[in-house]
Amino acid sequence: MLRRTAYALLVLATLAGTATACARTSPDAATADRARGPITIWLSNNAQEVQWGDAMVAAWNKAHPDQHVTAQQIPAGKTSEEAISASIIAGTSACLVFNTSPAAVPTFQKQNGLVPLSDFPDGDAYIARRSGALADQYRSTDGKFYQLPWKSNPVMILYNKKLFGKAGLDPNHPQLSTYSQFLRTSRKLVRSGAAQAAIWPSPSSDFFQPWYDFYPAFAAASGGRQLVENGRADFDDPAGRQVAAFWRELYAEKLAPQEAYPGDSLADGKAAMATVGPWAIAAYKDSVDLGVVPVPTAKGSSATEPTFSDEKSAAMFSACRNRATAWDLLKFATSSAEDGRFLQTTGQMPMREDLTTRYASYFKANPTYKAFAEQARHVIEVPNVPGSVDIWQAFRDDWTKSVIFGRESTDAALSDASSQIDKLLNEYEGQ
Amino acid sequence: MTVNLESAPAVRGSGTPARAAASAGRRRFGSRAGALFVTPYALFVVFVFAVPLVYTVWISFHRFYFTAPGTHVDSPWVGLSNYRDVFTDPVVGQAFLNILVFLVINVPLTVGLSLVLATALNAKIRFRSFFRAAYYVPYVTASVALVAVWQFLFGSDGFVNHLLGPLAPNPSWLVNSHLAMPMIAVFVTWKQLGFFVMLYLAALQNIGNELYEAASVDGAGRIRQFFTVTVPGVRPATTLVAIYAIITGANLFSEPYLLTGGGGPDNSSVSPVLLMYQKGIEQAHPDFAAALGVVLVAFVLVVSLAARKFTERGN
Amino acid sequence: MTASAKPPQPQLQPQSPPQSPQSQPQAPAPRPRRRVRPGRIAQYVLLSLGALVFLFPFYYMLVGSFRGTTAGDLSSAVPTGLTGGNYSAINGAISLGRSLLNSGIMTIGVLVCTLVFGLLAGYALAQLRFRGRGTVFAVLLLVQMVPFQLLTLPLYVLVVRDYGLGDNYLGMMLPFAINSTAVFLFRQFFLTMPQSLFEAARIDGASELRILFRIALPMARPAVLTALLLTFIGPWNEFLWPFLVTKKSTMEPLAVSLASFLSNLQGTVSNPAGALLAGACVLAVPAVALFVLFQRHFTSTDIDSGVKG
Repeated sequence: MLRRTAYALLVLATLAGTATACARTSPDAATADRARGPITIWLSNNAQEVQWGDAMVAAWNKAHPDQHVTAQQIPAGKTSEEAISASIIAGTSACLVFNTSPAAVPTFQKQNGLVPLSDFPDGDAYIARRSGALADQYRSTDGKFYQLPWKSNPVMILYNKKLFGKAGLDPNHPQLSTYSQFLRTSRKLVRSGAAQAAIWPSPSSDFFQPWYDFYPAFAAASGGRQLVENGRADFDDPAGRQVAAFWRELYAEKLAPQEAYPGDSLADGKAAMATVGPWAIAAYKDSVDLGVVPVPTAKGSSATEPTFSDEKSAAMFSACRNRATAWDLLKFATSSAEDGRFLQTTGQMPMREDLTTRYASYFKANPTYKAFAEQARHVIEVPNVPGSVDIWQAFRDDWTKSVIFGRESTDAALSDASSQIDKLLNEYEGQ
Repeated sequence: MTVNLESAPAVRGSGTPARAAASAGRRRFGSRAGALFVTPYALFVVFVFAVPLVYTVWISFHRFYFTAPGTHVDSPWVGLSNYRDVFTDPVVGQAFLNILVFLVINVPLTVGLSLVLATALNAKIRFRSFFRAAYYVPYVTASVALVAVWQFLFGSDGFVNHLLGPLAPNPSWLVNSHLAMPMIAVFVTWKQLGFFVMLYLAALQNIGNELYEAASVDGAGRIRQFFTVTVPGVRPATTLVAIYAIITGANLFSEPYLLTGGGGPDNSSVSPVLLMYQKGIEQAHPDFAAALGVVLVAFVLVVSLAARKFTERGN
Repeated sequence: MTASAKPPQPQLQPQSPPQSPQSQPQAPAPRPRRRVRPGRIAQYVLLSLGALVFLFPFYYMLVGSFRGTTAGDLSSAVPTGLTGGNYSAINGAISLGRSLLNSGIMTIGVLVCTLVFGLLAGYALAQLRFRGRGTVFAVLLLVQMVPFQLLTLPLYVLVVRDYGLGDNYLGMMLPFAINSTAVFLFRQFFLTMPQSLFEAARIDGASELRILFRIALPMARPAVLTALLLTFIGPWNEFLWPFLVTKKSTMEPLAVSLASFLSNLQGTVSNPAGALLAGACVLAVPAVALFVLFQRHFTSTDIDSGVKG
């Protein structure tokens, strides 16, 4: 049987070897950079964003009938990165994707999937003019921009005022500033029976989950350091350890459940708080009466503390043949007027330093968003280093083991994660 | 892999006197038709299976990642280095252990339950169609759908725990490192059982009534008949069922991916294919994933051979 | 003929338990008529309990999909506060008809390919001699051992980049076009048919094709139905492959468009859990309904394997 199998494999291998492939060609960069014509763009599948995108594209098409733009939603599964990565490999990506996660950019870059925007004559100048110093975190290791930092969703603590009232807490002045206050409030929420969980971030092992529990708290506690600084892991210190210990306490006292909620815990009133960005306000406005506070720190939170940006960039993909049109559209879509419409429609923050003054009337009319806009000036990003996804996965594995399930001390877990990430960084450095 | 692999009756293929003369004696009968009939399938296998498989094996010996078409990056030959990475990765060991746990629970349960149910369904009873359909419902339903329901049923605040009250396990079913993998094994058993019942039903048709009659004349009761007539009678099907169950188990993906939040808690329900997905697609290391896949296929071959030896004992 | 091998019952003393292996029949048993026996009751109890365990999650799914609020507690299994809101939410977000059509085309294509080419291959492997038969059989087994996820990426690159079949029904079907498990089942089934069945036809000079479709196929009905059901659920429920191949939303089969709907639940619907269950129902109901329809055709007690040992 085994000999037969081996023989069969041999035959197949020979046959397979003869099956030749005629690979798709990629566009020639020099001509594509100057070419104009119809293009396709992908938008995220957030309903409000699609609404903005369709209007933006309609305006463009009216002014440029010879360069027709087609917009559609990213073919999304669990995450849009998988779909984008797959489309790069097959050479079927859209010209522009208005939902590129910065954590995935190093991978896309490695796959030669992205067009460096810095190669356009006015590329760097445009990005600097629009976003100023906020853009610095989005440069790749070779100093070029492979993404245009487009919009952020600064992560803060949203809380359900009704449940706070039910637990006998003051819904307008919640005690959530320091770790000990936050824990006290959480105990009250759960033990009074007002909510099943004080806060319910997903405890699953996905590489991106730390962005909604550890990372915002670490950004605040460390005064705005990234997970990796100067090519080394930089979180195994008092700030990181305090954050881990704080979350461990929440899990240990069952204030945060160890199991993912099948649905939306905040909307269903199962959790009294959530760490989310401003996109959620529009989503919850009919179901929950919400308040917003900054992420807690050991000494007490402030409105100007750094937090995680949950930023999405717009990026141009190398499968694009009409890159001049794509670049023009990118500038059109991120112009001051369009950014204003985007803010108006989605409540998410365009990456501009003068957000609150430029769109003052909007924030006057929507005070809830003002807190997010304050924070948007102090956001930190995931490190733009090769192997970004591996690094987050390594971190997450140690986090779930220690913080969520308590099978290892949090200090040991952080130092283990730190040394593993250094190892990964060295490996990628050597490639 | 299966029984009566080549146990053709002696008559088969010896050619018939009438036509053997026609075929100069050397060419065996039906040979042209046979080759022709198999051709479409063979072509399909080459293009859909062999080419990617060879490609995968090739990838596993190089440092490799997929890039946009038309761009060239070096893929140096790295010998066994990807395999070394696979064998030194602690999570991989854990994943294979998990699969063994899964098989130890799932295979006996599947074989036992499906045979008993098939026997019960094989009698003349009322509502037979209804019962059959009932066992089939989970099998035809998408995993994605059923996983959602199981999460509601077995969540820490779910239906089952409400039923059990204080008896509910802590931590709950799906986040308990001792229970997560058994839960997946039970889920898969439940989901796939309909198919195996069907295989057994087909096999039961082939057991002649006279065997049962003979046994009952010898004074065997129904239980005894089950063990002396039914079980040996469906042995080929049992091998088949066991091997399919093993293959299903080894290729576990959507259950740990969805039901236990990506192989949680803390990798206690991670599976090799889930790791391949994480490494190959999420982290863009198809070379590691390819090597892991090759190891997995070898593992399945070994376990299947062992299962075949085991189920065919006494033949 | 041998529809259901119901072992004749040894005649029992009413008091003695039927399972007692010692119970000696005094004479060949007459067929019992309409006497409820404990054994039979046990059988019904076993089957009903089993059916309950198997159907309950399904019932729960159905009820949950119609409830205005869906939670994990006991009350959620009670059909109260029913609404069709979850379904209209889905229908508003994805074009159900188009997705169903795509799923249907993909599934039917796969079924036809599997039936035609699978029967040919299965019959040849079981009843014909030709060079390379052992090899093909070995490959057939190997194909089933290899996890599809192992080949997904390379195959994707080949199909979309080299064969140029992205956003194309052919590309969606290709990996599933001939279901190896079905081929294997056909082979196993044809193996159980004695050669003598076909000898006469061969002597009359009938072609193998004719023998297959005129003699072998009519007897293979149970195998064909088993294989069809088994094949049906693959392409119908498959998510990862069509997700990779389709980039245009108008080409997405139901499983894919549902997944993107589900990944985007938050903020679009008031009851995400209910919408999730409703999505699950939309995917499951056609499959179950088809099966139940099918069922009538081959569970009638005259399944005829055409062979008696």
